[in-house]
Amino acid sequence: MDRAARPPHLSLRLQRLIPPALFIAPAALALILTMAAPMAAAILLSLQRWDGMSPPRWAGFSNYLNLMQDDTFLRALWHTAYFTTCTVILQTVLPLLIASLLNSGIRGSAVFRTLYFMPVIISLAISGLLWAMLFEPNFGAINSLLRAIGLGAFTPLWLADPNTVMPSIIIVSVWQSLGFYLVIFFAALQSVPNELYEAAELDGANAWSRFLHVTVPTIRPVILIVIVLNTINGIKVFDQIWVMTAGGPDYASATLGTYLYSIAFGAMGASNSRLGYATAISVVILLLSIVVSVIQIRLGRRPDLDSQIEL
Amino acid sequence: MTDSATLFSTRSARRALAQARWRLRFTRTLVYVILVTIATVQAFPLIWMIVTSVKDSHEVFNTVLPAQIKWGNFPRVWFAMNFPVHLANSLYVTSLTVVLVVAFATPAAYAFARYRFPGREVVFYAFIGAMMIPPQAILIPMFQFLKSLYLLNSLTGLALSYVGGGVAFAVFLMRTFFLSLPGELGDSARIDGCNDFQVFWHIYLPLARPGIATVVIIQSLYTWNEFMFANTLITSPGKKTVQSAVFQAVGQYGTDYTALCSGLIIALVPVVIVYLALQRQFISGLTAGALKG
Repeated sequence: MDRAARPPHLSLRLQRLIPPALFIAPAALALILTMAAPMAAAILLSLQRWDGMSPPRWAGFSNYLNLMQDDTFLRALWHTAYFTTCTVILQTVLPLLIASLLNSGIRGSAVFRTLYFMPVIISLAISGLLWAMLFEPNFGAINSLLRAIGLGAFTPLWLADPNTVMPSIIIVSVWQSLGFYLVIFFAALQSVPNELYEAAELDGANAWSRFLHVTVPTIRPVILIVIVLNTINGIKVFDQIWVMTAGGPDYASATLGTYLYSIAFGAMGASNSRLGYATAISVVILLLSIVVSVIQIRLGRRPDLDSQIEL
Repeated sequence: MTDSATLFSTRSARRALAQARWRLRFTRTLVYVILVTIATVQAFPLIWMIVTSVKDSHEVFNTVLPAQIKWGNFPRVWFAMNFPVHLANSLYVTSLTVVLVVAFATPAAYAFARYRFPGREVVFYAFIGAMMIPPQAILIPMFQFLKSLYLLNSLTGLALSYVGGGVAFAVFLMRTFFLSLPGELGDSARIDGCNDFQVFWHIYLPLARPGIATVVIIQSLYTWNEFMFANTLITSPGKKTVQSAVFQAVGQYGTDYTALCSGLIIALVPVVIVYLALQRQFISGLTAGALKG
């Protein structure tokens, strides 16, 4: 046609841009005002020295350089890496295994899924408060239970002991998100064609090797998504920890999220604190989550294999 | 000869069959034991919370089950923790956020799905990228921004702070939904004389209801449960949302676990009711959000 052969007149092309631009404008404006602008402000602020009251002073990269020498920051970074690694492994492997059990043709799978999913709808803050009560060393439910079954010798202080506080927090995280990732995996498993399993069974593969050689390769893209989601959630972890320990005892459970928060808002209000320094930590969180998830996606993507499953 | 052979083979076959059946029953039982154990672990904190909430204060640490169910903790906490106000605050913030997110995101998602225009991919990826931004990264600038607008310690300001992240996610989810709708509908409506806006409003918007419902569910849950911004951007006790009000109550109630558990339950009830009513949409909505993300 004529229209395809000759590019339309410039004003006509602009005219065609008007409807989509109008449709997108409100969303774009909202995104710029409440996401992009604060983000840009954060990057600028991280290069300044500011107590929130007197005018900010330009500080170059000194906030970032100071971070490198801040032992508490390095500990928080280590705790964040520890939390993220453990939750990525546990919150990928456990839900996948349990989803496979639920998908093995047993009855009542829907009931189990509903039960397992319950903690997902609870806010991180409320589940943190609930578990803080359960973990209470002297009369909390968990230690009471341990004493009742004769394990009185094994009653850790849980959140109050620097050695057990991170594992305790990880337990809460696994409890809370198990159902979420399980449901994701379950949906993926249902899309695996049954013939694959039948063929493997004919070849004499047992349940475990069917899981390893049929299930895992087929739902690889979904496993990758779960790993990336877990990583992003791990790097920014805040709510549960703040509610349970506020990063304590003595920074033993401080993560990047809680450390930045305690600098910026910890001592009531943001007036007398190092806002530029705290913002530098938030930029570190941003960079870490982008870099790590991009690396994971790059490493995990296998275009030759993944083309069959369309998400 | 042949008779005994078939006899032998059927007998061994029968034995093998019985063995296989027994093994199947054994693994089935094992699977159920594992699943029930996990269900117990998952349910235990919640059951403990419910049981504790109806105990008498002095029973909390001594008995497993209360001698008598005490509903009195609920009205006590309802008024002492000022729940009517906090529930209303949460409801206001959640409704405002959801309305704004849906109003902004739906037309944008429609445009990304139905129009071809230069720069479409770039703009769309900017939206996706915004989903990756961790909330901490914008918390401090948002605090300053709202302060300069005199919207700090304001529920409207809090709702506004949620809109950007919500819009990014909703655009993403709704675009996939609009892509699944047939394009011919719009073409024929255009032939009938509808303009761009009318096509969107009269043809596609009614069809997009299930997609909008998903966004409403996810955004409501997220906003209702959000803690960090709510706890930071709102400072006066009377304006706190449920999440940060419950957190504040911990310092006040200390080890009064019956009161705290009743409080947590009151805070949870709205979400649980919606979850039980819309269970299927809830689960599929949340997982769809994750899978497409």
